[in-house]
Amino acid sequence: MYLNIKATKNNTFDAIVVGSGMTGGFAAKELTEKGLNVLMIERGREIKHPQDYDTAMKQPWEVEHRGKVTAHSAEELWANKRFGNLANDESGSFFTNDKDNPYIEKRPFDWIRAYHTGGKSMHWGRQSYRFNKEDFEANAKEGIGIDWPIRYDDLAPWYTYVEKFVGVSGQKEGLDVLPDGHFLPAMPLFAPEVHFKKMMLEKFNRPVTVGRVANLSQPQEWHTKLGRASCQYRNKCVRGCPYGAYYSSLSGAIPAANLTKRLSMLHDTIVAEILYDEQKQRATGVRVINQKTNQVEEYFAKIIFLNAGAMNTAALMLNSKSNRFQNGLGNDSDQVGRNIMDHHLGVGATATVEGFLDDYVYGQRPNALYIPRFRNWGNDKQSYLRGFGYQGGASREGWSRGVNADGFGGDFKQSLTKPGQWTIGFGGFGEVLPNPENRMYLDPTRKDKWGVPMIVFDAAFGENEIMMRKDIMNSAMEMMDAAGFKNITGYNRPEVHLGLGIHEMGTARMGRDAKTSVLNAFNQVHAVKNVFVTDGAAMTSSSCVNPSITYMALTARAADYAVKALKKREL
Amino acid sequence: MNRRDVIKNVAMMLGGAFSAPTLMAMNHWEKPIQSHPNGVAFSLTQIQRNIVAEIAELILPKTTAPNDVSPGAKDVGVPAFIEMMMKDCYLQPEQLSFMEGLVKMEQVNFLELNDNERKGILKYLEQETKAEMKARQMKQTKMGDNDDHEDIKKVAKGLPFWRLIKELTLLGYFTSEEGIKASFEYVQIPGKVENIKLKPNQKSYAY
Ligand SMILES: Cc1cc2nc3c(=O)[nH]c(=O)nc-3n(C[C@H](O)[C@H](O)[C@H](O)COP(=O)(O)OP(=O)(O)OC[C@H]3O[C@@H](n4cnc5c(N)ncnc54)[C@H](O)[C@@H]3O)c2cc1C
Ligand code: SF4
Repeated sequence: MYLNIKATKNNTFDAIVVGSGMTGGFAAKELTEKGLNVLMIERGREIKHPQDYDTAMKQPWEVEHRGKVTAHSAEELWANKRFGNLANDESGSFFTNDKDNPYIEKRPFDWIRAYHTGGKSMHWGRQSYRFNKEDFEANAKEGIGIDWPIRYDDLAPWYTYVEKFVGVSGQKEGLDVLPDGHFLPAMPLFAPEVHFKKMMLEKFNRPVTVGRVANLSQPQEWHTKLGRASCQYRNKCVRGCPYGAYYSSLSGAIPAANLTKRLSMLHDTIVAEILYDEQKQRATGVRVINQKTNQVEEYFAKIIFLNAGAMNTAALMLNSKSNRFQNGLGNDSDQVGRNIMDHHLGVGATATVEGFLDDYVYGQRPNALYIPRFRNWGNDKQSYLRGFGYQGGASREGWSRGVNADGFGGDFKQSLTKPGQWTIGFGGFGEVLPNPENRMYLDPTRKDKWGVPMIVFDAAFGENEIMMRKDIMNSAMEMMDAAGFKNITGYNRPEVHLGLGIHEMGTARMGRDAKTSVLNAFNQVHAVKNVFVTDGAAMTSSSCVNPSITYMALTARAADYAVKALKKREL
Repeated sequence: MNRRDVIKNVAMMLGGAFSAPTLMAMNHWEKPIQSHPNGVAFSLTQIQRNIVAEIAELILPKTTAPNDVSPGAKDVGVPAFIEMMMKDCYLQPEQLSFMEGLVKMEQVNFLELNDNERKGILKYLEQETKAEMKARQMKQTKMGDNDDHEDIKKVAKGLPFWRLIKELTLLGYFTSEEGIKASFEYVQIPGKVENIKLKPNQKSYAY
């Protein structure tokens, strides 16, 4: 083994972080800032912030297909296309080619991926809400899944810490259901939304607030230090922001980690396996494959953070087999890959709003209104469990109203240059219950072009979700009616599957008991203490709020614990 | 609505009967259309291109009225845009229904008709399409319950010709440089978002 000594030395770091997305970026920032030398390994191509956002400043006429997805792109990005227009000329090149990176659907799963620096943090909608107290307790109270090993108060300081760094614009409301955070100034509600908010309080006692969104409405000194500037309200965030005004791993965490000069990064490098030392009962490093050259290499570290995104993290654990872990690293409980959760969406209502015709808006708000959960909350009791929140908003119709309206000719053309009536729409994000039968696993024979086993999805909505969906649509219609809106149309898209919410999670859950969970209260793999999982895989339940801020809070908390443990020589 | 009702409606809208040439043209309306073999690449003949251009220009014509001087669909390159989009962004069902519509226009000798007659044809098309779109929509809202999955797949017929050409004309025009600048107040970098009061005759913002 003499030959390997030099390689081992060169390839050895204090910590390895797998994945450079929302959570990997944050892990790298925390670990480097606490003094560790970190290697972050990213399977996708390198994107440099902000110069590689090549479509960001294009004017509408410079975008060839004007926002539509070409048939070619729809075929290459066949899973991504299920979401909508992400595969268009504006952002398509930043999403994963599904044909090159196929997966198997025993039951349909809408898997939207972005393999490149920053992962999906480049494309997220930036909606950022804390879980509430109940979210951490409901499993135990209702006998669903297993209990979280932590409570809201364990995470609260870490929420604050992350919100401050990230920069979240929002309005404090003092609600138990939607705990306040550390906020930058809120964005405005528009005139019909203000009316709606008032009516909902009057008629249902339901609060409505403006979205809490990770866009810098007022940058603080620690933001500008990283080169981040104030939001310009173009709402073209999905192309990447040239001002670094919304938070991503690219605009925030990676620049911060780079300031420490302790971050090394590899791109185009697929982590295929975690190496396990039977004697030390520790993971020692990772085996990687260069996605361009197929070259295989090993890297070593004292601790390893898995942040490849919930599904890929679980796949990586399942693919890491040893004598000790014949079903995959840390998989004594057989829970790795199980309990896939997401938020179900594609259900809500739209309506037209009468009046407010002298009200208009300057600028494009990269945000929405938010209606916090009101179901199974307080005195409300439904035949299903848990609840949902709505996101949406009001806007005045533009020229596209002409498509379905009667008319053509000169007057028609001129009429479309003026704002049309107000319309409003919102859709629900519903909580999904953990169910061990909703799972992914590795195909025993089929492999991708790098020889890594392909992922098989076998998951679907259960009865609770389907019942909830009906209520999401009906309640939206009821609220619009109560607000006096007209032409109310409900929708409940039948072709929505798990995954489409792009909040996939749950495949290596935290818990109190190693027999029924994969991670402990600090996101440590029960049986392999120097491996931490802090992406969505760690989630024990899903709440109904967008999860990324929670993932980042868990990540920061786990990194803090890991470094302290390292210093105490416990790791 | 059956075809006769549609014709009656349109005639009423136009303030009287159709002119004789239009009615004659209409007689060709339902002549069977040669179907296009599957898998053939989408391409238009010169005549079909001319028809597309004329229809696009009727939808969004060049205007020179003192209160509205603005280019027309042809000025800003909409006809070529429509062809490109049909080719690049649509699958066979839409391509077939687009071709079907064009063949119908050829059958009624669209290019030989005068302006009024052409408008009559488009009005007719509009009414026909409205009925079809309504039927499609009913089918789709019925889907609300998550259970008739299979049904939705049966709507394999492409969107109607008029709906396609109208949408693409509007999209091509209102996102073209000249179209945007003539129609809206174009703001590339707003810098803020705020509630404002609309001034009389204020144009929409485009971003
Ligand atoms: C359009 C859209 C809108 C969204 N809106 C919101 C929202 O409003 N609010 C919200 O909270 N969340 C939102 N999300 C979800 C959010 O983006 C994810 O929750 C978040 O990015 C997950 O972070 P992650 O680190 O787990 O995964 P990612 O950010 O996806 O990062 C994972 C990284 O790991 C890399 N990787 C994967 N496998 C390997 C491997 N084997 N080896 C090496 N590297 C690997 C990937 O290439 C990727 O870069 C949205 C997502 C999308 C796409
Ligand atoms: S809306 Fe704000 S964050 Fe989004 S791209 Fe524009 S400037 Fe950047």
